[in-house]
Amino acid sequence: MTIEYIYPEIANLFGDSANFKYLKKSIPGAEFIETGLNDVPAFASTAPSLIYMGAMSENSQKLALSRLMPHKECLRELIEGGTHFLFTGNSFELFGKYIEQNGERIPALDILDFYAVCDTGKRYNGFFLGEHGGEKITAFNSRFSNAFPGDGVQGFAKVIRGRGLNADCTYEGVVKNNFIGTYLLGPLLVQNPLYMRALMQELGSEQEPAFFAAGMEAYAKRLAEFEDTKRELD
Amino acid sequence: MLRFYIALWAAKLAQLMLRLLGRKGTYFAGKLAIKLCPDFLGRIGRPKTLIGVTGTNGKTTVSNLLCDVFEFWGITLVNNRYGSNINAGVASALIENATLGGKCKRELGVLEMDERSAKLIYPYIKPDYLIITNLFRDSMRRNAHPEYISGLLSANIPPETKLILNADDLISSSVAPNNERRYFSISHIDGELPSRDNIVIDARICPNCATALEYDFRRYNHIGRAHCPKCGFASPAPDFALSSADFSARRMFISEGEESYEYRLISDTVYNIYNALSVVALLRTMGYGADKIASAFESLKIVQSRFWEENIRGKLLTVIMAKGLNAVACSRSFDYVGAEPGKKSVVLMLDDVFDEKTSSENIAWLYDADFEFLVSPDIEQIVTVGVRSLDSKMRLLIAGVPEEKIVAVPNECDAAAAVNISDAEKIYVLYELYRYNSAVMVRNKIAERIEKEA
Repeated sequence: MTIEYIYPEIANLFGDSANFKYLKKSIPGAEFIETGLNDVPAFASTAPSLIYMGAMSENSQKLALSRLMPHKECLRELIEGGTHFLFTGNSFELFGKYIEQNGERIPALDILDFYAVCDTGKRYNGFFLGEHGGEKITAFNSRFSNAFPGDGVQGFAKVIRGRGLNADCTYEGVVKNNFIGTYLLGPLLVQNPLYMRALMQELGSEQEPAFFAAGMEAYAKRLAEFEDTKRELD
Repeated sequence: MLRFYIALWAAKLAQLMLRLLGRKGTYFAGKLAIKLCPDFLGRIGRPKTLIGVTGTNGKTTVSNLLCDVFEFWGITLVNNRYGSNINAGVASALIENATLGGKCKRELGVLEMDERSAKLIYPYIKPDYLIITNLFRDSMRRNAHPEYISGLLSANIPPETKLILNADDLISSSVAPNNERRYFSISHIDGELPSRDNIVIDARICPNCATALEYDFRRYNHIGRAHCPKCGFASPAPDFALSSADFSARRMFISEGEESYEYRLISDTVYNIYNALSVVALLRTMGYGADKIASAFESLKIVQSRFWEENIRGKLLTVIMAKGLNAVACSRSFDYVGAEPGKKSVVLMLDDVFDEKTSSENIAWLYDADFEFLVSPDIEQIVTVGVRSLDSKMRLLIAGVPEEKIVAVPNECDAAAAVNISDAEKIYVLYELYRYNSAVMVRNKIAERIEKEA
């Protein structure tokens, strides 16, 4: 099993590297690759089991796009072929049609049917409670942007509390085959041990995630807070 | 203009009323004035010379040091050291020092300015000098990320403001590149480690060509000296460089080109040495003589409320402010505690006070903080305290702390009882800024237990 983290030097803005670190602890037998901005990605020669990327600054999005654009067709084929992707924070915006940053339209990879609009004058913060695969997802948003999906786009999690892809969207994230892109940032896998376990099973690991019992205790506490409607999102 | 005078008089009246009620109210009067007159800051009189201090960490310490130096020299100045650093706090300080006609009664001002409030302050108040201490990740809710704050400062700092910048910080040193600037730096000191193993290094690539930067040394996070092996980009050359320090004699030597000047070393923590150095850099840039500054430094003190240490029956009990939601500040505290010799117990009280009451804290920052510094055979126990104690426990497990060393205590009233006093030679209580009273309560209960049990 190979897990590749794309551009960790710029795509770790909000504790996102925790996901990679937690996968390392949970699947010690896997090969873990960190691909820098000036490296040739491992996915360009062999399909990894999972490709991970985390949140980044608005300028870093432009840089990442310049590096990924030559691999656009390869990425499209990997998604079509069923490779797992987990892109957290605003990193998944790279796969849409374009990103509009404060009025400037930046062409994106145009692999998935959505576009993103970023306004650095308006920041949205808040916790998120959703449902994915029958399990509750607990996570956080802290972002300048919203995504606007086309009609056929499938979401990652149904919104129970908090914001979806945009203020009016009833779901959060975009899914295509095994590609998952989500605005939910930071240690998403640590915060959701049940989702982590399901992902590991999809990747072919039958072990329990590391520190599963401790993770479940923390998850249960957070879930109770998120379900308490007296608690504000932010 | 009438609107301005109404706002000024209403704010002055509010300040008077608050003073009579025994409240400082340093925020309210300014807020009222800006509400009544949105461009109030642009209309109220400012001191002839205005110094601003901004940045992620250290701005309060630097402002206080500057105020102390000027007060030592007998200069009464406008300052917001006891108040807020956002636009309303700045306005309050100016209102307090204004005549009824709106003229400033002082020649000099030192104002701490919140970096996030740049676009609410600088269009109106144009500092003659601005120290930017550093730029790190801070609350993501408020500050997003350092590049965002750097952009905000660059877009709003007036072109005529002279900048005093940290040459060892590639993010803050690049703010407002066309402004006149002087840089300060601490040279690599003998015995100092060449780098620290930090998770967050926000200047990893060359801003010109995106090649991976090579650090000549990296003091912590992105603080250090770096260069690009491809295009020649490098950390700026300092105008004021701390070239050496004698920690036992408490002296520091600051070189300015070929000259070197000696000052008292007022702290032995590197971040406070940066703070003191920025003060020297500013005062020298303003034209004050090195001897005059050195004499003021002889009596200067850094307020120790954020660090309280006491030896109780042979056990060292220390309370340290760790600043929750601020991964770099926490990491500095973790690094300090991890490196101290002796068997230790550590109490972590890092939860956000406000989220605890009304929402649920975003714990992503825990994974930017270097809890790995707490992985040490000398640390025999870590007590995580508060509503997020289970999340902190999980963070410590992922860092590599054995589970049997961690005790999660949801209620802070139970924290002291959970501490293993008998085995520890040193006990550290690390607390979030707004949790000071709770930290003191826990500390006092631990002290009582030591008195009884040791």
